[in-house]
Amino acid sequence: MIGTFFSINTITIFSVLILLTAAMITISKNLMSMIFIYSMQSLLIVIIAVMLYISEKNPILFTIAVLTFLSKVIIIPFITEKVQHKLRIKRDVTFHHLSPVGSIFLSILVFFIVYAAFSSLAGILADKTSLIIISLSVSLVFMGMIIMFTRKQMITNVIGYLTMENGVLLFSLFVAELPLIIEFLVLLDLIMLILLITLMAFGIDSGIEEYHARIDPFDPIRRRLDSRLGGRFDSRPDIRSERVDREEKAR
Amino acid sequence: MTQQFFIYAAINIFVALVSAPFFMGVIKKVKALCQGRHGPQLLQPYYNLIKLFSKEVVVSKDSSWITRITPYINMSIMVLAVLFIPLIFVPVNNTVFGNIILLIYLFAIAKFFMALAGLDAGSAFGGMGSSREMSFSSIIEPVTIIVFLALAFVFKTTNLFDITRETAMHNIFSINPLLVLLAVSLFIILITESSRIPVDNPETHLELTMIHEAMLLEQSGKNLALMEWSSALKQTILMAILINIFFPVGLIPINLITQSSPMLLLVSAFLFLVKGIALSVVIALFESYLAKLRLFLLPTLFAIPFFLAFLTIVIEVFI
Repeated sequence: MIGTFFSINTITIFSVLILLTAAMITISKNLMSMIFIYSMQSLLIVIIAVMLYISEKNPILFTIAVLTFLSKVIIIPFITEKVQHKLRIKRDVTFHHLSPVGSIFLSILVFFIVYAAFSSLAGILADKTSLIIISLSVSLVFMGMIIMFTRKQMITNVIGYLTMENGVLLFSLFVAELPLIIEFLVLLDLIMLILLITLMAFGIDSGIEEYHARIDPFDPIRRRLDSRLGGRFDSRPDIRSERVDREEKAR
Repeated sequence: MTQQFFIYAAINIFVALVSAPFFMGVIKKVKALCQGRHGPQLLQPYYNLIKLFSKEVVVSKDSSWITRITPYINMSIMVLAVLFIPLIFVPVNNTVFGNIILLIYLFAIAKFFMALAGLDAGSAFGGMGSSREMSFSSIIEPVTIIVFLALAFVFKTTNLFDITRETAMHNIFSINPLLVLLAVSLFIILITESSRIPVDNPETHLELTMIHEAMLLEQSGKNLALMEWSSALKQTILMAILINIFFPVGLIPINLITQSSPMLLLVSAFLFLVKGIALSVVIALFESYLAKLRLFLLPTLFAIPFFLAFLTIVIEVFI
């Protein structure tokens, strides 16, 4: 399956590095570096696709490499970074269900289980390298899932989802050659998803009042008091001044 | 124990003892330059050692023999450990030295005595430093063992001499490209064990965050010099493991008596110095780039080498 131009080992090392980037996303707390690591992860996939293209001379592989480079190394990180700037959130420090070390251990366990599951397929597969890369890519999908459920921040969840998609792409590069049209549609879907999330993020940002109300446990009481006292109770200065402005304008 | 081995031992110990403070000086200098200072001279660690050796030793009247004996134990263990890792040429195989697991245990003995000495004088700082050092070693030691185990799996031997001979004769990419992952792991272990910045700050004195320095507070004069020299030696040994496996250029994997000349040895020693300086610069830049991690975040840092070593073992053993 893999030609002799690049040694099998080189492709293996790049796939293991992809898993390392997923582990780094799992423990990273800075959103900016998370986005950077994600784009590096996509770049590694591009490199693998180019290597496969050079040894197999299949033009679809090259197209996939170019598409991946454009969308995942340039466009998606750019948009996510923009969203992140707008949100003015720099870090995602809360972990729930699992500590970062726990997620690393869980990923090791997942890799082991996935490997055990796929090793029964070893007879069908072309070579040992395919087996290891299949295990790596499926565990990359699971690691994306781990990233999603251990974090709360929206951008981190998005990056977890994108990591899962990268796992699927790596899988498809090696095992079933998906038709190009499906790859293309998946990429379009991803970009649309990112755009939708951008809209949602701006929505949350502009409608900060409703957002505030949702997370404030005293809000129903406050609102009740507010209605009874005619708006004098609300102590939140920004909202109050806004209201005063509005009232003055109405007068 | 042939004649050749004694020549090897003498050369190795001499090179390590002389070069260890120099690497410390290089790291200090590069860090100072990164911070926009001039920094101490490159040879300042030697001057410090000379100064400390000529001072008298003051020990607390509450301390026991442990405080007095620890510097000598530490120094002798580090000198012994230097024999485990060939710095400039690889002698013929021997079964006494070079076992990678024994090396970890030697480090553990040195650490154990250092922690005892920290507790011995009964000062608050020393006890705190010892407690922290021990809790970190209980986390980092399994990681170290797994990483060294991965090395042993890749090379099919636990002997550092065999490993070094292998890397000196072949390209590491032709042995196994996964070694690149182990290089990252070994680098993190090097940073941790030589108590450098994300883990501990080597430049703090009398701060609440210090770990390694807190245990040395009660030492003075000659004893302090021995302690500092031995920790420099430890760093040099770990650097040498990294260098020997990943940049074995200039290592002589041949029989000294029959084939090599003093000239070749000099060239090899010079190359070792150059590689050591390069690695020291990398360490210093890494240290300047990062801030110290919070104490409870450190296990996260140690999870990365564990992850890499485990992946290497799984791939190496099962596939």
